[in-house]
Amino acid sequence: MTALDTRPGAGSRPGGAEGDRRTARSGAARPGAARASRRGKLLPTIVLLIGAFYCLVPVGWVFIASSKSPGELFTSFSFAPGTGLLGNLGDLFAYEGGQYGLWAANSLLYAGVGGVLSTLVSTMAGYALAKFAFRGRNLIFFMILAGVLIPGITLAIPQYILLSEIGLAGGPISVLLPIIISPFGIYLSRVFAQSAVPQEILEASRIDGAGEWRIFRHIVLPIMVPGMVTVFLLQFVGIWNNFLLPFVMLSDQADYPLTVGLYTLLSKGSGAPALYSLAITGAAVSIIPLTLLVLFLQRFWRLDLISGGLKG
Amino acid sequence: MADTALRPEMTHPVTASPAPRPARGRRRSPLAPYLFVAPAVVLFVVFMLIPLGYTIWSSLRAYRIEEGASVLGVRVDRFVGLENYVAVLQDAELLASFGRLGIYGVIAVPLTLGLALLFALLLDVPAVRAKRFARTAIFIPYAVPGITAALLWGFMYLPSTSPFSYVTNALGWGPIPFLEADGLFGSLANIAIWGGVGFNMIIIYTSLRGIPAEIYESARLDGASELQVALRIKVPLVVPALVLTGVFALIGTLQLYGEPNTLRPLTTEITQSWAPLMTIYRDAFLTDDLPSAAASSTILALGTVALSAIVLGVANRRRKEGVS
Amino acid sequence: MRHPKTVRAAALATLLIGGAALSGCSAVGGDDVVRLEYWGWGVGQSEQVALWNAANPDVQVRHTDAGGGTDSAAKLLTSSRAGNAPDVALAEYTTIPSLVIADVPRDITDLVADVDDAFTEGTWAQTTFGGQVYALPQDAGPMVLTYRADLLAETGQAVPTTWQEFGDVARAVHEQRPDTVLAAVPAGELGFWAGVSAQAGADWWSVDEDGWTVGIADERMLEVADFFEQLAVDGSIDTDPVLSPEYNKRVNDGTIGGWAAGIWAPSVLGGVAPDTSGSWEITPLPEWTPGDAAVPFQGGSALIVTKNSEHPEEAAAFAKWMNASTEGNQSLLDVRGVYPASIEGQELAIGNAPPSLMPQQTEFYDVAAEVSEDVLPTTWGPNVALATTTLTDELNAAIAAGTPWRDAFVATQAVVVADMEEVGYQVTTNG
Repeated sequence: MTALDTRPGAGSRPGGAEGDRRTARSGAARPGAARASRRGKLLPTIVLLIGAFYCLVPVGWVFIASSKSPGELFTSFSFAPGTGLLGNLGDLFAYEGGQYGLWAANSLLYAGVGGVLSTLVSTMAGYALAKFAFRGRNLIFFMILAGVLIPGITLAIPQYILLSEIGLAGGPISVLLPIIISPFGIYLSRVFAQSAVPQEILEASRIDGAGEWRIFRHIVLPIMVPGMVTVFLLQFVGIWNNFLLPFVMLSDQADYPLTVGLYTLLSKGSGAPALYSLAITGAAVSIIPLTLLVLFLQRFWRLDLISGGLKG
Repeated sequence: MADTALRPEMTHPVTASPAPRPARGRRRSPLAPYLFVAPAVVLFVVFMLIPLGYTIWSSLRAYRIEEGASVLGVRVDRFVGLENYVAVLQDAELLASFGRLGIYGVIAVPLTLGLALLFALLLDVPAVRAKRFARTAIFIPYAVPGITAALLWGFMYLPSTSPFSYVTNALGWGPIPFLEADGLFGSLANIAIWGGVGFNMIIIYTSLRGIPAEIYESARLDGASELQVALRIKVPLVVPALVLTGVFALIGTLQLYGEPNTLRPLTTEITQSWAPLMTIYRDAFLTDDLPSAAASSTILALGTVALSAIVLGVANRRRKEGVS
Repeated sequence: MRHPKTVRAAALATLLIGGAALSGCSAVGGDDVVRLEYWGWGVGQSEQVALWNAANPDVQVRHTDAGGGTDSAAKLLTSSRAGNAPDVALAEYTTIPSLVIADVPRDITDLVADVDDAFTEGTWAQTTFGGQVYALPQDAGPMVLTYRADLLAETGQAVPTTWQEFGDVARAVHEQRPDTVLAAVPAGELGFWAGVSAQAGADWWSVDEDGWTVGIADERMLEVADFFEQLAVDGSIDTDPVLSPEYNKRVNDGTIGGWAAGIWAPSVLGGVAPDTSGSWEITPLPEWTPGDAAVPFQGGSALIVTKNSEHPEEAAAFAKWMNASTEGNQSLLDVRGVYPASIEGQELAIGNAPPSLMPQQTEFYDVAAEVSEDVLPTTWGPNVALATTTLTDELNAAIAAGTPWRDAFVATQAVVVADMEEVGYQVTTNG
């Protein structure tokens, strides 16, 4: 059962019965009340559908626009499908000898590997911060949390210089290392560990003589899987959508992720026009994987974690 | 960020016991917690603290040409104390950009949270239809990166490709001034709202779902309408989630960069220093004036901390006063 | 197994040490090939580099595209600061001074002395400061007017040879066709403004042993601003950004009839509006003073050899091949599609077919060579990027508010001068 569908202590009362009880109690005239209860069902649905439409319009547009050839892009009506989809796709994947495919693979690499590493680090830190009382715990926690307040631009150049001193700048590793640290991921892991890992089991295992690492690997990790999945998914999306860090760190276009790659299609400078058709087609294609990921893995999101730290 | 909302005792773990007491009898490894947090702490120090320190150090310096060099001498790094900060605080353009952020924030933050709250409440109405579809559709923008979203909306705004302007043109009203001075703030805010509503909606919705139904069953039995239940009971109970999303929205506003920067080539209304972070970007990357960028960043970070602290402080005090 | 862990650890250690030793051997051993890193953007770079690599097995060049002109320059600054810069890099002329003061390029005066007469004085001026050469010019953008010949023919207008005539033609065209303008003159094109200003006699930056002179608010420049402002107020020219989606649409529609820019404009327009091919022609840039045909550059880039580089001689050799050799120039034309800055390259171009935008103008490269003979030496200042952003913002604001354009140039000069003085230069102004 997903967190979104369960409700503690809820009976399942059909809406109709509620409506009837309400109208019976309020004593309003029957036809008017029936109309009111019908409207009561309809209005929220309509508003939600308007919201859904608003959210989907640009996405729909980009798919239609990617079907227009460069000539049609600025001359035909926005939502009229064009004839150039295959041509655009061909141009896109042939650009600079297949760089778009490289960009997609890079995005997957950074988001996937970065997400996994980040989740591991966050889980370990969250577990320790939640389940151990040690000196400096609060200091460490708040310091890390304060990291959220620093704008990425501020850190980008110093991080680049730092990595250069070690000789690691310019390649994919310079993107992977800084994204592992995620204050938000640590916060979520801590909240989850707090609520999901029973202290008694930890104590019992210690009494039985198990080492801390064994306890972590065999008891804590399995319990924390739902939280870890959430943290991983949030990190994955965040890294996939990250622009500034790879932009500063990477010098070779072949290492760019999709975000930076699309940017370069658009900002060729005054000597060459922006490759709008390519950028639009590229944007459309790049939306697909993440959208699919979000759609299919919705059932695993435990986003109640985020507000879980604030109940009261 | 020392606020009550995040103190351990405020959390309500559902199944586990509260914060651990000292070990009974058996001694466990005192190093264990330190080892577990070690990777995070090391990475934090290396990739956040040290760069932050470098930034502050850099902000106290400046590039100057050596004495007597008239043509193109190589510049040197010199200590100048608080000169950069003084210059930044006196920079009218930078202050104006904060003003623009203010206007932008007043539009974007309430609308994002308001719509998120509205949609979450609507999803929670028992009789609503198409819940799955609406929830998914509204969440989709989260999967679209900021640059792409700004590009898409840019085309929605441009008179020659905008479907909205197409309609108004056909009706004889002329194109909608999305990218003109009148509509600019709304247009920029819209991109952020579009991108942020879904995620925030889910946070508030899951918070709603965590409220036991008994709490408003009795209200419903007493004849309260859905609207009253929503306003009087649900909303106050999700205020903590609203505060959290509000603080994030506030931080996001202060760090506004991607949307105005992507739209800049499409309109003459957006200057290179329209938002503070754009000025910082210009100094750091375009005009190679790293120390100025460092000073502006430090001021921005301090301002963000202060603002977050104020918001959380106010929220906490209100919560303490208005006991449920 | 008594001590499985220890045995495993020992085996692993042996493997690692052995592997390191082996790889160490190969690195120290017999690799005499000099490997260079080269950053350059644009179409055809990799192919051109491949030509060099095939002919020079002992100096192999690895090409990377680090982004367009602005992005590449920013990356050069950052990477140089970190000690990471490539050996050779392409840099726009306008960015070279800011690179020099950041100590990025090497002084290559001695290394390129042997190709001194491959370029005109005007061309060298963009890469030479105080007698030191910091970059080798690659491509040039002498300014020309690219215009729709069919538009002028249909409206009965002659091709303008002076700016005065240009203004009259623009007005006439706009009167006959209210939705059409002869050209777009936006605020963001610093290269254009500095160019027409230099053409009018007001250099934006110049330098001698006493220091810098800034002429952005020179009276002659301000008169230039007034001239174009008048045209814009009449609606005869457009002031919206160039190459935006709106602009591209109008070029396709034929409601933008021209572009005063570098010789590269036709290939850019050809990419944006391929269907309009055959309707365009180029003509020398209109003159301010009839008879004064000296023309400025707009755009173009040069190759620098970085201070970081451990093989400056080989790097310089590569740069000289690319920019000053016959083979290099031929590939600049054919493979890269740029107009060479070298004299030989421009002569070679004359035999080539014109760009796809104007297949009917077979004398295209003759016009280009003629224009390039009389080029104004241009000196760029150390804060061109600042000037660009300031001018764009100030001029856009003036256009939007309807205030005099000349104020924008005065304000820009104030900012530029203040910045230069703060850094420590001696600066005087001409206006």
